[in-house]
Amino acid sequence: MTHFLAMVLFSALVAVVFAALSSEHHDPKSRLKYGVKVFGSFVLIGLAIAWVLYPLPI
Amino acid sequence: MSGPSPASCWLRRKRLSGEKPSEKLLPDLSAANSEQRLAVSPVRTWIACAAALVLPGSGHLILGRWVRGIVIAFGIALMFSSGFLMQGHLFKPERGEWISWLFSFANMGIGLLYFILLAADIGFQLAPNQAAAPTFEYGNTFLLVAGLLNMLAVMDTYDIAVGRKT
Repeated sequence: MTHFLAMVLFSALVAVVFAALSSEHHDPKSRLKYGVKVFGSFVLIGLAIAWVLYPLPI
Repeated sequence: MSGPSPASCWLRRKRLSGEKPSEKLLPDLSAANSEQRLAVSPVRTWIACAAALVLPGSGHLILGRWVRGIVIAFGIALMFSSGFLMQGHLFKPERGEWISWLFSFANMGIGLLYFILLAADIGFQLAPNQAAAPTFEYGNTFLLVAGLLNMLAVMDTYDIAVGRKT
């Protein structure tokens, strides 16, 4: 399993649970929308952090 | 002699302007009120919370939130099993290693399964080449987050049971 795939799996599972637990979204459609938003945010921010850290010698 | 307090002056101004002071102070629950809200007995509340803590998703099932309960159970179970598949391991409190207490607390969030695995000593031992696996740290993170997500699910169960959420 690649690091990217692990991150995508993690994002997907956390997004599913967050969408189910959200108190601000009451219908399935808005929960789905929120879940997709959380998933996208996780992946994009993860990639952005990876891009920033890539040149560092760590 | 002291005059009226600033709070009473503010309320009086609001009343004179025709605005209800509570409207701005209270959260908007109109969306939640429009749906069915549940407030169960304290005994059932505690039973649901205890069940949610023991088995992920079961608290929601007890409260009749079938879809949400199944989604939570599925998500947490998949995250927990993925953690093991990625060579992660569970933590138990070790004397002198404070970080292990923190990680153990997060792992314990998964509920009964943690204690069954602890009793059977499955998933706690670290094989010699296990830490060298590229996904080792991911596995640990998945196992920790699975427990933490279940703690959130327990709080959600409580909120639903007391009628704070739909």
